[in-house]
Amino acid sequence: MNKLLYPLAAVLILTGSAFTFIAAQTWQISDGYSIAFSSDDASGIFKGFKGTVAFDEQNPAASKFDVTIDVATINTGNGLQNKHAKSDEWFDVAKYPQIRFTSQKIVKAGNGYQVMGDLEIHGVKKPATIPFSFKKTATGGAFAGTFTVNRNDFRLGKPGGDVGEQIKLDISVPVTK
Amino acid sequence: MFSKSLLLGIVSGLLAGIAGVVYARVYHSSLGADFSKVAPAIRIIVSSLFGGILAAVGFTLLDKIGKAKGEIVFNLLFAVISFATLLAPFAVKLPLDLEAPELFPGMVIPMHFFPALAWFTLKPLFIKNR
Repeated sequence: MNKLLYPLAAVLILTGSAFTFIAAQTWQISDGYSIAFSSDDASGIFKGFKGTVAFDEQNPAASKFDVTIDVATINTGNGLQNKHAKSDEWFDVAKYPQIRFTSQKIVKAGNGYQVMGDLEIHGVKKPATIPFSFKKTATGGAFAGTFTVNRNDFRLGKPGGDVGEQIKLDISVPVTK
Repeated sequence: MFSKSLLLGIVSGLLAGIAGVVYARVYHSSLGADFSKVAPAIRIIVSSLFGGILAAVGFTLLDKIGKAKGEIVFNLLFAVISFATLLAPFAVKLPLDLEAPELFPGMVIPMHFFPALAWFTLKPLFIKNR
């Protein structure tokens, strides 16, 4: 009996672990994404967005986001504001060319999901929780999320001033398989 | 007097508009910056025409009020107002799908001087000096 028990246990453990480590579906970020920000007196978009998006609706725990935004692609619609935003007073593009978000944990929350991870802006890394939704489409799917960050947390600009301290980010990312 | 200055305003405004459209095309082909969505040809021409007609009204009024010095005041005002309007292209917020908004002032700033330039160039043909 013991001769059968150990091999059987080993097979069960191996089978179980194989299911545990099933990777989530990896999605390709499509053109047409929108990374928009807005606050009092300033708003705009970022155009350079890339990274790895692994997401499984049925298994959010196995999902993983690791995405970056090229800060130099900021567009406020005004040339002077763009230049100002890229300067060392704000994003300091020369020194910190990327905004990075790396997920640590993704959980189901109500009708959508929440991703907890590290958000790095202007060389400052802070934990952030981003609520998002995922909708399947004919060609793949679309992620959408809205959240706010306090620019003072990331040493962006000077405290106070015309630009509001709470910056709202609206993110919409269509993906394909 | 007003009919002559109005004619001068219309002609110089039209010429300034045409020059603006040509300049926009050259700017687009040389720098690749296409702002035709916010500054289409018709808008450039109408704006220049508006500037020319406004100049005609201003010239007539100042000529009546200021007599001999009216033209001097008008020329100064036309130049100063043309300069003052340069603030607008720097402050304007373009649609976000337009790339390189920093190139927009470079396109429209010269256009702000075209009506004055056309007016000063063509004026001797329409209105003789006193």
